[in-house]
Amino acid sequence: MRRPLALLAIAACVTAVVAYQVTRPARAESDPRVFVPSAQFFEDFSPSFRTSIADAYYLYMVQYYGEHVETDQRLDSMADLVDLVTRLSPRFTKAYQFGTFALLDADEGARAYAILQRGVEANPEDWGLPALAGFLVYGFGEGAEKERIAAEWYARAAAIEGSPIYLDRLAATLTAKGGEEEKAALMWAQVYADGDKYSREKAVAALDGLLPEGKEERMRAVAPLAETMPEAMFEELLAALFEDYL
Amino acid sequence: MNQVAAIALNTFRETIRDRVLTVIVLFALVMIVAGLWLGSISLEQQGRMMKDFGLVAVTVFGVIVAAFIAATLVRKEVEKRTVFVLFSKPVSRAAFVVGKFLGLAATLAAVVGGMGLFLFVLTLLVGGGASGMVLVATALIYLQVLTVVAVVVFFSTVTSAILASMLGLGVFVAGQLSHNVLSLSRVGAGAITEAVSWVVFVVIPNFNAVDVKAAAVGEMTVDWGSVALWAGYLVAYMAVALAAASFVMRRKEF
Repeated sequence: MRRPLALLAIAACVTAVVAYQVTRPARAESDPRVFVPSAQFFEDFSPSFRTSIADAYYLYMVQYYGEHVETDQRLDSMADLVDLVTRLSPRFTKAYQFGTFALLDADEGARAYAILQRGVEANPEDWGLPALAGFLVYGFGEGAEKERIAAEWYARAAAIEGSPIYLDRLAATLTAKGGEEEKAALMWAQVYADGDKYSREKAVAALDGLLPEGKEERMRAVAPLAETMPEAMFEELLAALFEDYL
Repeated sequence: MNQVAAIALNTFRETIRDRVLTVIVLFALVMIVAGLWLGSISLEQQGRMMKDFGLVAVTVFGVIVAAFIAATLVRKEVEKRTVFVLFSKPVSRAAFVVGKFLGLAATLAAVVGGMGLFLFVLTLLVGGGASGMVLVATALIYLQVLTVVAVVVFFSTVTSAILASMLGLGVFVAGQLSHNVLSLSRVGAGAITEAVSWVVFVVIPNFNAVDVKAAAVGEMTVDWGSVALWAGYLVAYMAVALAAASFVMRRKEF
């Protein structure tokens, strides 16, 4: 008699736990302002584990971004998170790249630029970060000097060993006279060429908005972008940009 | 020498069969594999995540195994009274302590080495290229774990097993913070504070100095000369802890 009663009690408890988990709101509304400790705190108290802590915060940062960019569009703590991760792990180039785009969505371009500058200093052998800084200055900067500053960043990236040949051309294009949209398209093509899946999605969306809508005009506008990336990659980009025309 | 080898072999056979050890190692392997899942949500950073979290798992579980098994090494022999049989023969107390330590060191070599190798192979297969630094970092983690063992063996000769484990874990945590103690000794808050902080800094092993986990993910350049010196320091530290444990054992009456 005692055993069936015990089994019944256990079954009731399991049912209650599962029912609670299933019926509670799938995603509780989360606060866009989160507590972000200072990097100095972790550097002082666990220097041996600083990169692991940076990784944990990086995963949290990605999750935080995904959660808020699709819902309330509030990324109040994004800058602090990017700052924390990159200070704990200054050579974590992916964190700078993701952080830059995320901070643009958070409307914190200036903070993104400051963090990216720090990244360039910490990773002098990486050409991707100065190229990204050039893109950031040109695409989102303000003032008459932005083209010159962006060109300087591209020239700096081009001077780094192993950098792709088109960076020099980008620097030259920026300082030459020409249409703003063509230049912007070139910048985004460079993001597509060097970026990961996430950056490419951003680049395709931006290029889609920049390029003309007519099939022939779009084809003509997209042709110069072929010089900025390998052929196979360019074909992938074409497939993405002409998806609606097929 | 034969006595030490016999005790070490016996300790190795005894500890390697420990069920707690099996459970902890299996759990550690599961944690390392969990890095795969973390990698999948990291935007193409799978290799980095696996190395970083995997090495943390190796450290944490290695230290847990060291602290809890080392604490029972000496105590169990005393409580089961097998130590009486042993000491009725011409076996020195120092040979007993060193033999026990070496036996557990062999077990931990299998445990920590196995976890490190598992992580290395996993990063090789899944993480987009393994780094030899994972193996180097594992070797240096092993050195830290052995230092914890030596400290726990010493504590287990003067206190209970559970307290010895806790104190061993405490020393590991304090060893991560030893540079902070050094900063405290330079603050100039008073001669006594400075002196006490300096003594604490000297007594607590400096584990940060031999930690190269960050180098496995390309985050630091290793000064091998300095690491070798600090590794020598940890070996000397172990020798001192074992000598202190032998001294205490020699003064005990069985």
